[in-house]
Amino acid sequence: MQFKYFYIVLFLLFFITNNKQNSTDSNHDIELITTKTSYVAGENISLQFKGNTNASIYLLCANSYGTIVVSPSIENSTTSFQLPQNFANKSGTINWQLINDSVLKTGTLYINPQPKIKAIETYIGPPSIEAGATDYTMLVSIPTDHLDNPLADSTEVTVKHQFLDRNFKDNIIMKNGIAYKNIYSEKEDGRIIISTACLDLNSKEYDVNVVPAIPTNFEIDYSRIHEYADGNQITTFNTSELKDRYGNTVSDGTFVNFYLTNSKGYKSSTSGLTINGIAKAKFLHPDHEENFEVKAYVEGMAESNIIAISYKKAIGDFEIHFSEDKRTITVGPIESFMNQRVPDGLNVTLKIFKNDVLDHKIIKETREGFATFKLNKDRFPKGQYNFEFYAAGTTKSFTAIAYE
Amino acid sequence: MKENSNKYLIAALLMGIVFHGTSIFFTLETTYDALIHLFFADHYATSWFEPWNYKWYTGFTVMSYPPLVHQSIGALSFIGGLKFGMFTVAFIAITLFITGVYRYAYLITASKKAAGYAAILAVFSSSFVETLHIFGQLPSIVGVSVLMHALPEIYLWLKTGKLRYLATSLSLISVTVTSHHVTPIFGMVFFIFPLIGTVIMDDAREGVASYKQVTIRLFLNSFFKLFKRIISFGMLSLVIIVGCILPYWINSKNNPITQVPIPHGSRDNFLEITSSGLVFFLIPWGVLLILLPYIFYRYYSKRYLFFGLSITILTILGTGGTTPIPRIALGETAFNILTLDRFTLWASIMSLPLFGEFAYRLVEGDLKTLIQERLGDVYHRVAGGLFASLFLFMTIFTMSLGYFKPSQPQKIKMLPIVNFLSQDHHDQWRYMTLGFGDQMAWLSAQTNALSVDGNYHSARRLPELTTRPIERLENSKFKGVEGIGSLQQFLTTPEKYNLKYIFSNDKFYDPILYFCGWQRLRQLENGIMVWEKLNVPPLSSILPKEDVATWLKILWGTMPFLTVLVAFVLNVQFLLVHALKTKYSPPPVYLNFKNNYHKFSRLVLRVTHIWSVIVAIIVFYGIYLFYIKNDSHHSAKNAVIAYYDAIDFKRFKEAHSLINPKSNMALDQYMLEVSVTDGLLSSYAKLEAITTETISENDSLASIKVNTEWITPLEKIKKTDFKYLEKVNGKWYLQPEDIDLDLPPDQLYSMNTTDYFNQGRRRITTEETHHEDILKQPVLEILDAKLVKFENHYALIGEVQNIDNVPADVVLKGTLYNDDNKFLATYNAKYHVKHKLMPKEVSSFRINFEGIAWSKTQDSIPKTFNPDEFTPIEFEEQPTKFNLQVAGNVSSSDLYKRTSISIQNIEDFKISGILFNGGTEEVTIPQLLVSYYNENKELIWVDHIFIKDGIRQQRQRPFEYALLKKEVSKLINDDMKNCYVNGLPNEDISDKIVPNRIIKHNDNELQPINHPLYKFVKLEVNTYIGNPN
Repeated sequence: MQFKYFYIVLFLLFFITNNKQNSTDSNHDIELITTKTSYVAGENISLQFKGNTNASIYLLCANSYGTIVVSPSIENSTTSFQLPQNFANKSGTINWQLINDSVLKTGTLYINPQPKIKAIETYIGPPSIEAGATDYTMLVSIPTDHLDNPLADSTEVTVKHQFLDRNFKDNIIMKNGIAYKNIYSEKEDGRIIISTACLDLNSKEYDVNVVPAIPTNFEIDYSRIHEYADGNQITTFNTSELKDRYGNTVSDGTFVNFYLTNSKGYKSSTSGLTINGIAKAKFLHPDHEENFEVKAYVEGMAESNIIAISYKKAIGDFEIHFSEDKRTITVGPIESFMNQRVPDGLNVTLKIFKNDVLDHKIIKETREGFATFKLNKDRFPKGQYNFEFYAAGTTKSFTAIAYE
Repeated sequence: MKENSNKYLIAALLMGIVFHGTSIFFTLETTYDALIHLFFADHYATSWFEPWNYKWYTGFTVMSYPPLVHQSIGALSFIGGLKFGMFTVAFIAITLFITGVYRYAYLITASKKAAGYAAILAVFSSSFVETLHIFGQLPSIVGVSVLMHALPEIYLWLKTGKLRYLATSLSLISVTVTSHHVTPIFGMVFFIFPLIGTVIMDDAREGVASYKQVTIRLFLNSFFKLFKRIISFGMLSLVIIVGCILPYWINSKNNPITQVPIPHGSRDNFLEITSSGLVFFLIPWGVLLILLPYIFYRYYSKRYLFFGLSITILTILGTGGTTPIPRIALGETAFNILTLDRFTLWASIMSLPLFGEFAYRLVEGDLKTLIQERLGDVYHRVAGGLFASLFLFMTIFTMSLGYFKPSQPQKIKMLPIVNFLSQDHHDQWRYMTLGFGDQMAWLSAQTNALSVDGNYHSARRLPELTTRPIERLENSKFKGVEGIGSLQQFLTTPEKYNLKYIFSNDKFYDPILYFCGWQRLRQLENGIMVWEKLNVPPLSSILPKEDVATWLKILWGTMPFLTVLVAFVLNVQFLLVHALKTKYSPPPVYLNFKNNYHKFSRLVLRVTHIWSVIVAIIVFYGIYLFYIKNDSHHSAKNAVIAYYDAIDFKRFKEAHSLINPKSNMALDQYMLEVSVTDGLLSSYAKLEAITTETISENDSLASIKVNTEWITPLEKIKKTDFKYLEKVNGKWYLQPEDIDLDLPPDQLYSMNTTDYFNQGRRRITTEETHHEDILKQPVLEILDAKLVKFENHYALIGEVQNIDNVPADVVLKGTLYNDDNKFLATYNAKYHVKHKLMPKEVSSFRINFEGIAWSKTQDSIPKTFNPDEFTPIEFEEQPTKFNLQVAGNVSSSDLYKRTSISIQNIEDFKISGILFNGGTEEVTIPQLLVSYYNENKELIWVDHIFIKDGIRQQRQRPFEYALLKKEVSKLINDDMKNCYVNGLPNEDISDKIVPNRIIKHNDNELQPINHPLYKFVKLEVNTYIGNPN
């Protein structure tokens, strides 16, 4: 709130002082001799005044770089101010004030860029856009003269770009020191090569990648060595080629998540990354008969059909042998679908219950079709236990095993 | 009278220079402190008068340590580099120490020969060897040496009252104080006060025939007579102690040390922690322990009575936490700040004159005569030989300690790191080292880059560090869970410190770096792994500093050398006269008080004998206990502990030697089995605690329950194993464990992957990167975000998706506000997110708001801190709104996504299933992210679990996850309007790229659970690959 008044006062003051300047102008008998107000950048600029020859007179000059004070050189009754070259090189407006104790005179000089081109500054971004004719990249082109001034407004700049087998050429006009153009993507993915030209000068090559848009729905399938649930082989799920809505194959590395739901409702998930649009995901065969429903997702964007996959029972019944003291228990031989011994590493779980409470759970892996449990008498002292063996979907229970 | 040079002193100097002078080149750089002093020296060499140093912490002032030694090294470095400076100063320190001991011993014994012996013994004394070659405390050595030089001058001033001596003594005190601040302060108490007592005693003695006749009255008379000299000396030295390092005191007052006490071995109970007892008690005392009766007998004679009191106090204070006395005597604060080993050092130095005296008497004096008379020539030779060998053994043992038990990691070649930091603007960010030990100081001295860490903990200012009882972040694993807890705060919010690069010399830290969102950049040619964090802004060009007045800077920069100059001018005449014997100088007055070396007390000899026997018994009993404890086959428990110890230190051959030979497990087989196990527990765990419980044991069989606690970089793991042992041929052995039998189906298999490479600057130039070489930040989308309260802390949870076409590194930063939009807290996602997302991949996330742990009171530091837990920030006001900033950066590393999850069973609030690694990389640490949903399938909480074992290729690993039982989070706010992606509003981005998003797309794929509070869960897997192919 307080600031508001402050600004108003400042504003008023500005006007008052401005008026004052004008009045002082007319009161003094100092005159500007130089009539030229428009220069080309790089030209020598000297302002000459007639009248007052007081040495304590200065010229205050301001352009877009900053403000400087220029000292006069006085000859006879002419006071001349030589503007430094770096000021004269910069195109744009120079506001000057002639000052001794007060502002004596004010004026404005215009410096135009040179008409000859030296370079084209080009900026382009973003460097990658999405296919689909809605996303675009912006090209900004600034042709400059020898003194690094942007060329004059209304200078024509040609923007050329090439995409697939098509070439484009557009003319754009400089305004406020720049020329710009939005380049829209098309429906295909690929790379746009861009260059600009101005007054016979060509820029270097720029490029913008057009990447595929988000994927659309797809199909999935699977392949496997055999259909048995042996807990060892690996099933590969694969997708059809994922494409966006314009038919472009999605970028390599696109993440596809496969969800599997078994007959009990438990979920598994595996994932694949696309290469040439096809994602492959690996899944270990279950060790017991099982049916899965499988569906794949690119989350929030696309999904697949649902497929069913079933694994046939490979491992049938198995024997369990107790040693004399019942402390060494051998499970097996566990045999697979051709009565071959299961590959090593099938998990056999033994749950030991004491007074119907789970006391311990041991998981052993088979070797040559057998799994052996040794129950230490320190860990399982004298008493009665119930055993529950589980392997490959089969559960076998033994009750009231007594230990001495 | 013609004065002869003391041959013993010359011999001592020659031996000292040769012995220490050659060995420091192999020891000094691996000591604890030497490189820190080198770093300070580098500071003075580059900016002598500017006390502010930006390189450590977030800037600190070197006015926190007396500068003389550092400035000397710095000045000498202009001639031949920093290390030249350090070794030169070390040579000076050695010379000063030997001559100092000589002068001090001469003062005490008034016998040139005894003093000469003392000087020779000082060269090899284990305390000096330890201080120089193990601790590398150069300023401390210089300080105490100059103090010893000052003692005769002080004596002479007090005794004669000649102003010349006042000037020399004060000049030496000033050198002492500019080299080490603690030495003159405690030196005043423990060396100068007893010396004053001795002077008064001597003065009183002059009136009577013998010391026996000195009464208290006589003593007081002398005291008042000398009072003026004493008080003038005391006052002036106080002025000097304060004045010479005035900036230090001002700085101490302005920046009081807020550091919580850092545990130091010298405060341990030496009987419990025997390694501390060895280093801080046995070694510094060495053979002096045998002479204790003699030392006390002599120092408690009337003339030295005050020295007797002093050495008693020093001895007791030096015992650290073994007895409660030091804690009571010093008070809790001083006890926790001071390192008590210095008391033992001073006590041993104080004993040196008497050690010299004893040696003199044993070798050529009355003790020799006594022993020869009473026990015979042979006994004298044998005893002397034994004593000498013991002395030499202690010296060599101490010297070799740094070789056999290195306190530092292997010497690291710094050049590749220095080059890395100076290339490509890498020094525009801060860096940190891990596992470098004290060598980090040497790196800091060589590079212009700034480090977050540092090696001078008294100067720390960041509350994250001062509230921690850790020395350095760099070695945080040795500080257990507190260290890791401290480190992870820096790793989680590195942009706060502009920390971008980490140089890791210890793979232990790799998992925490990975799970905090860091990525491996490359391995340098010296084997150091460089880790980097994306999305960290560079340091601003102007950094804050605490400026001090110019006069303080000038005083600090000039005073130390001035004191040396003044001391030199004042003492040089005496030195030259003495050394060159150019003219006769009257013997100093303390020579009037000669000891009687003609009749060695029989009682003392007898007591020494008895004491020696006692010491020998203690030593042998200790060795016996040590043997029993370490004989791994001695008992079943020993075998188990030795086995775990061997496993912990990866001494697999030793572990194998404890496996039952009857099991026919060949070493090859054992090593093979070890080599194929990887994972958090087997590769990144350090054994923190082990307890054993014998379940049963008979003559030949035993079963033992082993409870172990392991510190891993990610969490603390408690484990209970049952081990069965068998006694074979009188030795206990462990039964081997089962091995993984799983056989993968494919011998050779192929897999196609997409690799990414970012060129960075395509043109080789030092200019700023061309704009066309800068990649677009990958576009991410926040699918869901909400502020929830869970138990007593707040968290942001949600889901984020990479909707771009390139892989992204994800940084999530949450900020909390109250209803009045007042900023309350900010933090980053730590473990609860997959930091690397492939195109279109989704990750659940959770941001915890961690406070600076234990910042309130040091007392609340939990004894059982778990790095997995955290200290929730304390909110003064209720957070109600949040702002979530997500930043994506293109990343091409750690993109392995080939692990599948199968849920097999859910019962008793436990999910069990298997993880299967179907790819070509070995998964070192799998992590499960578990998202909880309510009945409307709305996300309400995100949890995680690290699986302890790794998964090899085409193998499965069972997992079990216990569902949360009671707690349920309360929704505070789910307004997503303040969610931003790469600085742009989330909604705009989402509308543009995925305008027709299928909301809640995966809802059908959530796993239903039977739970009163939560109805669905979702499992995601994140994997750390320790050794990418």
